[in-house]
Amino acid sequence: MKRLSMAAVAAAMVMTGVAQADTVKVGYMTTLSGSAGTIGKEMQNAVNLAMEHTGGKLGGMDAEVIFADDQRKPDVAKQLANRLVKSDRVDVVAGVIWSNLLMAIHKPVTRSGTLLIGSNAGPSPIAGKDCHPNFVSMSWQNDQTPEGMGKYMQDAGVKSVYLMAPNYQAGKDMMAGFKRHYKGEIVAEIYTKLGQADFQAELSTLRAARPEATFIFQPGGMGINFVKQWHQAGLDQVSKLYSVFTVDNLSLPALQEIALGVVSTQTWSPDLDNDMNRRFVADYKAKFGGYPSYYAAQAYDTMMAIDHAIAKAGSADTEAMRAVLAKGGIPTTRGALAMNSNQFPIQNIYLREAVLDADGMATTKITGTVFENHADAYAADCQF
Amino acid sequence: MTLILLLEQIFNGLQLGVTLFLIAAGLTLILGIMDFVFLAHGAQVMIGAYAAASLTALTGNFYLGILLAIPVTFASGYLLEFLLIRHLYRRSHMDQVLATFGLILFFNELIRIGFGPAALFSSLPASLSGFVTILPETPYPVFRLLVIGVGLACALGIHLLVSRTKIGAMVRAGANNEAMTAALGVNIRVLRRLVFAAGACFAGIAGMMLGPLTAVEPGMGEPLLILSLVVIIIGGIGSVRGAFIAAILIGVVDTLGRVLLPVILRSFMDQAAADGAGPALASMMVYILMSLVLVVRPSGLFPPKG
Amino acid sequence: MTLFHILVDGLARNRLLVVILAGFALFPIYTGIADLPFWNDLAMRIMILGMAAMGLNLVLGYGGMVSFGHAAFVGIGAYAVGISQFYGLDNGWIHVLISLLACGVLGLVIGFLSLRTTGIYFIMITLAFAQMLYFLFISLEEFGGDDGMSIDRADFMPIDLWEPLRLYYLIWVALLCVSLFLMVIVRSRFGVVLEAIRGNESRVEAMGLVPLRFKITGYVISAMICGLAGTMFASWQEYVSPDIMHWTRSGELMIIIILGGIGTLAGPLLGAVAFLLLEEWLPELMHVVAPEYAENWMIIFGPVLIAVVLFARGGLIGLIRRIGGGGS
Repeated sequence: MKRLSMAAVAAAMVMTGVAQADTVKVGYMTTLSGSAGTIGKEMQNAVNLAMEHTGGKLGGMDAEVIFADDQRKPDVAKQLANRLVKSDRVDVVAGVIWSNLLMAIHKPVTRSGTLLIGSNAGPSPIAGKDCHPNFVSMSWQNDQTPEGMGKYMQDAGVKSVYLMAPNYQAGKDMMAGFKRHYKGEIVAEIYTKLGQADFQAELSTLRAARPEATFIFQPGGMGINFVKQWHQAGLDQVSKLYSVFTVDNLSLPALQEIALGVVSTQTWSPDLDNDMNRRFVADYKAKFGGYPSYYAAQAYDTMMAIDHAIAKAGSADTEAMRAVLAKGGIPTTRGALAMNSNQFPIQNIYLREAVLDADGMATTKITGTVFENHADAYAADCQF
Repeated sequence: MTLILLLEQIFNGLQLGVTLFLIAAGLTLILGIMDFVFLAHGAQVMIGAYAAASLTALTGNFYLGILLAIPVTFASGYLLEFLLIRHLYRRSHMDQVLATFGLILFFNELIRIGFGPAALFSSLPASLSGFVTILPETPYPVFRLLVIGVGLACALGIHLLVSRTKIGAMVRAGANNEAMTAALGVNIRVLRRLVFAAGACFAGIAGMMLGPLTAVEPGMGEPLLILSLVVIIIGGIGSVRGAFIAAILIGVVDTLGRVLLPVILRSFMDQAAADGAGPALASMMVYILMSLVLVVRPSGLFPPKG
Repeated sequence: MTLFHILVDGLARNRLLVVILAGFALFPIYTGIADLPFWNDLAMRIMILGMAAMGLNLVLGYGGMVSFGHAAFVGIGAYAVGISQFYGLDNGWIHVLISLLACGVLGLVIGFLSLRTTGIYFIMITLAFAQMLYFLFISLEEFGGDDGMSIDRADFMPIDLWEPLRLYYLIWVALLCVSLFLMVIVRSRFGVVLEAIRGNESRVEAMGLVPLRFKITGYVISAMICGLAGTMFASWQEYVSPDIMHWTRSGELMIIIILGGIGTLAGPLLGAVAFLLLEEWLPELMHVVAPEYAENWMIIFGPVLIAVVLFARGGLIGLIRRIGGGGS
């Protein structure tokens, strides 16, 4: 694991205020090696940027971030979590991209009395019946973003939709979230193979069905393949494409003009107009050459949340930090974030479109707000 | 599912099939002639895709990019055989599995370091971005037709090479009985190197065809590798003809399976169950097919005799 | 020869294995004193992986059957715990029984269907079955699909797994039992015939034996051992998901066996130690040596594997034997 001693960075900066004797330790777990390494890299960049912005401190205390590479394997994640908690004795474990990895480390970390903050995944068991007070989400619950899309299409009067997602839990969750608010005609609900590269067959069937709209969830490389082939098959003439977690700042560099006009919903966009987000996006672009993705924004928010929690609590005690976070009002790139009773965010869900910015770089732009202060659907099942 | 749609899907299956064939052809010869389990064949696909994408970016011309990428891919295969593979022929299958597995890791990381982990931007020139109406009301992307064309041309080329030329005769003899072929004075070492390089080249061409359609990223070859292994098992190891027939068969079965299965299941299962079982069964289809073939013909459909 | 004699003979012949097992038994004392409790986690992972590799080695190393599907049995063993708990069954001993039964039956069916083929065909058909099981479990939404299932540490009455180190020693005892069992089997008539089949099947047939029966029996036994490893794994990870069954995990088991030394008893265990330590330390090494490329540590790992194949024939055991001047 990589130790990034921010105490050293802090010393190089001019500080006012009293430096505390203790060092706050944060164990940040993400996937740095292997094919998903891009995402982990984004999160790492964002965390480092956050630490720069806070002057190497969290809540006024000297801070150290230990990065842990989970290699996208649940058993490695579990082992790392144990090490972070038992050996490095971190005050907070944060990060985790994937739902299955989060499920694997959720119990051991929360059980040990260490605060676990999620930067991305939000599987429903953790939001509902298997919830634990030591878990706080700084991202979203998996169903929320597609729910926004469902509501938007329902309100916009879209008559028929063709659904496509990969055949795994997240794919099914996305479609379930969508159907919660969309009551129009579902022409077809197609589950493609996980990791599928060529969608020509499905696109042929889609064209024959001529749906008014097509809603897809195809994260990562699958999304790049899909949108490319959609465009090449000329399907823009046939149906309007909507997506979640598919056309975003991570895939746009590979798609560029091809994805222009694709509409998606998301809880964040680089053009969200608040001070923290403007500073974050500008500095991220300057430092790393390209727009940050929502992964990066959520990772940044995670560190800001820890900073806020320790500052308000006056210490890095788990229960004290948790109490502060549960109250909400956390300063993030999405504004002041409110919290649901299960410690998942209550937040706006925005409508976004893929556009070219003034420099010709592809990015997303907010074109409307679908939900204000949207809460997830599982809080009622959660009894701390 | 109208007849027109069915025909279009068969076309799609054909395109998948010829792509699989390009990859499987080299693999079946490597496995058949050299008895070498080359798990890193998927990496050759990746190398071809990256070569074409970067040369296209460099020259600004798609066709030039591909033209230049072909010898690059051939050379990479030639070099790999010379540097490493030839030391592994005498080792057990297990050792070959381990070594080529290590090779996969190495190549993926090399590409990741050289080009970054994110997918490369690759697209088609305007001349290839249009449509052709192959069937009533069915615009079909020109590029995909090109892929089918290239695949069939290569298949014909390989067939002519293997059955009409002297080199081809040596290759066939080698697939049948390597020791005897060597005894007849054929320079087996150079033959192996050429076969290996040719296999890499065809796999690379598959990668170049796939590049504009899919994401050019590290590890893009692995899923195709498994499918190609299935193709050559069904076709019979060492048989190019078998590989072709099996590849088309798998391409069509996989494609039709994916689109027809959910529909078929829905007619006697409820929606939710069909939506769950359909994709799972579709993923398994190819493996089920292979297992059936192996039960009936344990050496594949067209094993070279001897 | 009584069982006692056979065991003593086995232990004498497999000194390295005994040393490794003893090492694992004593390891917690060291980590306790040095206050490095999390290293126990790594050790438990190694023991579990080593157990599964030893199971696969029975058919791969001794029997010459290259099965790409054994990770599926590990998965079945783990899901036996998850699914049992889903239906309210918490007793760990029963989990073990269910796991052995399920893997035994599945091993029998898959083995019977697959062992009609040989060589690369056998490899592929075992891979096919493993993939089918993988896709099956992904589609089982009831049991979490690919998000997996959360698992509670099983109730191994009268042992309370929540007491420190109980889980560690439970896994160790399982490993010990598997090792002793394999020690006996390998030297038994069954083991000798299995190895003979790997060498020359037709000669065995000429002796009037039916090779298929031996191969299937070996396959079933190896499946059950992998299942046991999976059951232990479930209690350790407190979570199970289909990616434990993916064919690349089978590949990992093979790598472990080859790294350690095919067809030896201690090989797979040694290989597991080497493999997991490499996975732990290579990234750290890269951070020190070439920090910008730290995430690309696999670029070293790949060539390491190739080097092992080229220069360390017989794996680590082979290396040790050569250094030790033969013997053991």
